[in-house]
Amino acid sequence: MSDMKREMAFGDRVGGAGRAGAGGSRGGSREERGGGGDLERGAGRGFGRRKVCRYCADKNLKVDYKNAADLKYFITERGKIVPRRISGNCARHQREVATAIKRGRQVALLPFTVMQHQ
Amino acid sequence: MQQIETQSSGGPPQHAKGTMLREYETIFLVRPDLAEDLVDKIVERMRGIVHRDGGKVIKVENWGKKKTAYEVQRNFRAIFIRFLYLGGTGAVAEFERNLRMTDDVMKYQSVKVADEVDASTRAVEADVKLPGDPEMPERAGREPEGFGAADFGGRRDDLGDEGELPPEAE
Repeated sequence: MSDMKREMAFGDRVGGAGRAGAGGSRGGSREERGGGGDLERGAGRGFGRRKVCRYCADKNLKVDYKNAADLKYFITERGKIVPRRISGNCARHQREVATAIKRGRQVALLPFTVMQHQ
Repeated sequence: MQQIETQSSGGPPQHAKGTMLREYETIFLVRPDLAEDLVDKIVERMRGIVHRDGGKVIKVENWGKKKTAYEVQRNFRAIFIRFLYLGGTGAVAEFERNLRMTDDVMKYQSVKVADEVDASTRAVEADVKLPGDPEMPERAGREPEGFGAADFGGRRDDLGDEGELPPEAE
């Protein structure tokens, strides 16, 4: 559907003369490109499998700021919160994890920062 | 609605059926060198404060002496106490005011757990006492294991920890 629309817009820009022929040939090549794009999205850019949100996979698991052992999983060695694209959390659970980590920090269960002592 | 008794001495006040209160949770950190009976004294005083304001203590957890993630008032350990209680709008303010006045309390945090809890039906749970972390006299301030040991598939460098050197780099 959107392909069609784009094609139309393109055709309009090219101009009135020879619209049908040019549009047709371009349409073919675009279809190929479209297929390639889909593959790109599906197979990824070379980094492994799509990660699943831990808390969605296990419904019994609750985000709890008192459970420092679980939250450490979402913290870097430096004490930063691991971004969603790395941790694989869904938006909702990432939000919950982030607030939980911040609460955990407040009661000294989790670090704000970790000194790198050499 | 029945008037709630306000004796500061006694146990939990009797709540009329359908009394809706909020459920709060407060964790506070007590100085690690404080004697156990003094810790219990603080706990009992806080319990009395919740009851005095017509609240209800659901559960008190003593997590024992635990290592803190960072230095708190020159201490690397603290006794963690968790209070779970019901109370009205002023409950947390009063609770925290009293914690502030107690010098042996180093840190506290209150979180609302639930709105609209029926005080007459919410069961009181038994107090819990945990042993805490094992005592390590040497280098108690150090972290024995690093945080965030989790493996995220070798894309750590993507996190952008500025200025962080790889372990071997000099």
